[in-house]
Amino acid sequence: MKKKYSSVVLTLLAVLLILSGCAGESTSNSSSEGGSKTQINFMHWRGEDKAVLDEIIAEFEKENPDIAVEMTIYPSDQYMATAQRMLQEGSTGDVFASFPGAQFESLQSAGVFEDLSGEAFVSNFDENLISVGQLDGKQLALPYQLVFNMPIYNKAMFEELGLEVPKSWSEFQALCDTLLENGITPIAFPGADIGPNQFMNSMMMNNAPDEDIFAKLQSGEEKLTNEWWVKTLEDFQLLEEKGYIQENALGTNQDSAMQMVANEEAAMLATGSYHMASLIGLNPELELDLLAPITVEESEAVYEGINTATFMLAVNSNSEKKEQAKKFVEFLSQPEIASKYANETGQHLTVNDVNYESEVLKNTAYWIDERKTRFQPRFLITNAQVEDAVLSSIEDVLGGADPMDAAAAAQKIVDENRE
Amino acid sequence: MKISKSIYLFFIPGLILYSIFFLFPTLSALFYSFTNWDGFSPSYQFVGLDNYDRAFTGDSIFRKTIGNNLKFMLVVVVFQTIVALAFAVIVLKNTKTTIFLRALYFFPTILSSVSVAFIWSFIYDPSLGILNQLLELVGLGFLAQNWLGNANIAIYSLAITQVWFHAGQMLIIFVAGLQAIPQDLYEVAKIEGASKWQTFRKVTWPLLAPSATIVVAYTTIQSFKAFDLVFAMTRGGPNNSTEIIATYIYEVAFRGFQFGYASAISVIFMVIIAIITFLQFKALRSDRISY
Repeated sequence: MKKKYSSVVLTLLAVLLILSGCAGESTSNSSSEGGSKTQINFMHWRGEDKAVLDEIIAEFEKENPDIAVEMTIYPSDQYMATAQRMLQEGSTGDVFASFPGAQFESLQSAGVFEDLSGEAFVSNFDENLISVGQLDGKQLALPYQLVFNMPIYNKAMFEELGLEVPKSWSEFQALCDTLLENGITPIAFPGADIGPNQFMNSMMMNNAPDEDIFAKLQSGEEKLTNEWWVKTLEDFQLLEEKGYIQENALGTNQDSAMQMVANEEAAMLATGSYHMASLIGLNPELELDLLAPITVEESEAVYEGINTATFMLAVNSNSEKKEQAKKFVEFLSQPEIASKYANETGQHLTVNDVNYESEVLKNTAYWIDERKTRFQPRFLITNAQVEDAVLSSIEDVLGGADPMDAAAAAQKIVDENRE
Repeated sequence: MKISKSIYLFFIPGLILYSIFFLFPTLSALFYSFTNWDGFSPSYQFVGLDNYDRAFTGDSIFRKTIGNNLKFMLVVVVFQTIVALAFAVIVLKNTKTTIFLRALYFFPTILSSVSVAFIWSFIYDPSLGILNQLLELVGLGFLAQNWLGNANIAIYSLAITQVWFHAGQMLIIFVAGLQAIPQDLYEVAKIEGASKWQTFRKVTWPLLAPSATIVVAYTTIQSFKAFDLVFAMTRGGPNNSTEIIATYIYEVAFRGFQFGYASAISVIFMVIIAIITFLQFKALRSDRISY
C-alpha cells in the first residue's frame, strides 16, 4: 500500500515538475522589465551593422538612462518567417524593421504597426522617400536605408579602358564586348542566390516602365508571355550566350561573385549598393559607382536605376513600451546619429541632412536626387509564389530554356496562384 | 498477477508530452488544412477540401516537389544503404584500425547541417570547388559540372551530400546487426561448402533484414525531411529543381503566408511517408526470421 502511494506521489511530482518548467519561461520574460530600467527590444536583420548599432545604443542609453535596448537579429532570409510570430506575441520587437512590399502588407494586415503619423520625428525623414511605409494616409513605418538595387561597376577600370556608362542596350553590349576583348568578365552574376532577384529589377525597368505591371500580372490584366517579360528573358539569354555573365552563373554565390569584382576579374557586380562597403573592404583600391543596363534605345529609356527604401523602422502596436520605443526611433532619426550609421555601414539613408563622409557614399549620393530611379519592382509582387515563378523563369533561361517557353511555364504558375 | 491501477499514472507525463508535441500540432494541422488561414489574422474561413483539390489539381510546383522528393529519396536510400552496408562489412571486426575507421565514417553525422551545406557548397562550386578541380587533375575535366546550378543534376548532387552526411549513422546499425549474427551459422555454411556470395545471401542478408528495414525506413523518412540541407544549399533552386515537399511547405507557409494550404500539404506529406514506410516494412518483412 505504501509502495502504491509513493508511486502516485512520484507521478504527480513528475507532472508538477513538467508544469513548473513550463511556467518558468513566463517568469523569466517578465523579469526583463524589472529594475529601474525599462528594457525595449529592437528586432532587425542587419547582422553586419551590429557593431555600429551597439555604439548607437550605448549613446542612446547614456542620454536615456531609464531605457535599455537589447537587439535581436535574425538573418534576412529567416526574418520574414520569424519576425511576424514574435511581433504578434508582443514581447520581442518593441521597435522592429520591416521589408517593404509583401512583408509590409502582411504585417499591416496582422495589425502590428503603431501609427506614427503624428510623431514629430517623421519630419526628420525625406518625405519623398518614405511613402512606401504609408497606408491609407497613415505613416506605419519609416524606411531608414536607401538602397540602389542595380549593378556596381569598377569606375577606375572603365576609365582605364576609355569606357563610358552606356545609355542604350546597343551601347551596353558594345561595352561588354570591349571588356571581353580585354579579358574581363563584364558582369559577375550570383545566380545561386540573390542574382536573379536583384538583377531582374534593372533588366526589366525600361522593358516595362509601368510601375503597376506586377499588380496587373497578379490581377490577370498582364501576362509573363507578353512582350515586356519575354524581352527581359531574351535579354538575360543574350547576356548568357554572349558570355557577358560568367560561365556557370547559376552555381555562383554572392561571395564568389564579389570576389571576382574585388580581384578585378569582373567589371560589374549584379547586386546592389549595399555591397559597395564590402567590396571596398575586400579591395580598398577599388573606385566604384552604380550603373543599370538600359535595355532599350536611349530615346525609349524612362528610368536610369532602381531604388529601395527599406529597413523600415516601426513600433510594435502590441508593445507595452511604445513611448520608449518611439524615443529610440526618434534617436535613430537624428541627423548626427543617422550620419554615424550611414558612414560606418556604407549605406545611404532616407534621413534629412545626413553628412556622408566616405568617398563611395559621396560619389554615389547623386543617385538620390539627380537620377530618375524607380522603386524596386520585385517588392511590388505581393504573392510569394508569383515572385518565385518570375525568378524561376530567369533561372530557366539561364539554364538553357527558350525565353517564351520559360515565360509560359511561369505564367502557368501565376495563373494557378491568382486569387 | 494483479496490476495496480496506479501504474497507469505513469503514462500521464508521457501522454502529456506526446499530446503537446505531437498530437495537438498534428490535429491542428489537420484542422487548419480545411481553412484559408494566413497564419496571422485572427479570423479564417472554412474552405472544405479546396486546399487538397488545389494541391492535387491546381499546383504544378507541388507535383514537381513530389517528383523531386522521390528522385532524392531513391538515390539516398539505394546509395546510403549500399555504402553503409559495404563499409559495415569492412569495419566489422573489432581491431584498432576498424574502430578508428568506424569513428571516421561516423564523423560527418556529428556535424551540423549548416556546416555540411557550407562544406559541400564549396566542394560543388563550379569555378573554385575542389570537385571540378579534382576531375581536371585526373584528366576527367569533361565530367566537370555546375553541380548545384544545373537544374538537371542539382537534386542528385544534394542526394550525394545527404548520403555522405548520414551513411555513418546507418553503418553503426549495420555493424550492430552483423555482430549479432551467430558465428555457428557461418561455420555450418563453411562446412557445407557455401561460397562467400551464398553465405551472404542465405545467412547474412536474412538475419540482417531487421537492421536493413530500420536503415531503409529511417533513410526514407530522413530523405523526405531533408529540409535543412536543401534550404541551406539551394533553397529549392534553380527553377524549383531541388524544391522538396518540406522546403515547399516552408515557402508556402512562411513566405506565401498561406498556412491553411501549407497545412494541407503537410497532411498529404505525412500520409505519403506513412504509405511508403508501410510498404517498405511489408516488402522487407522484418517480422519474419528465416532461421
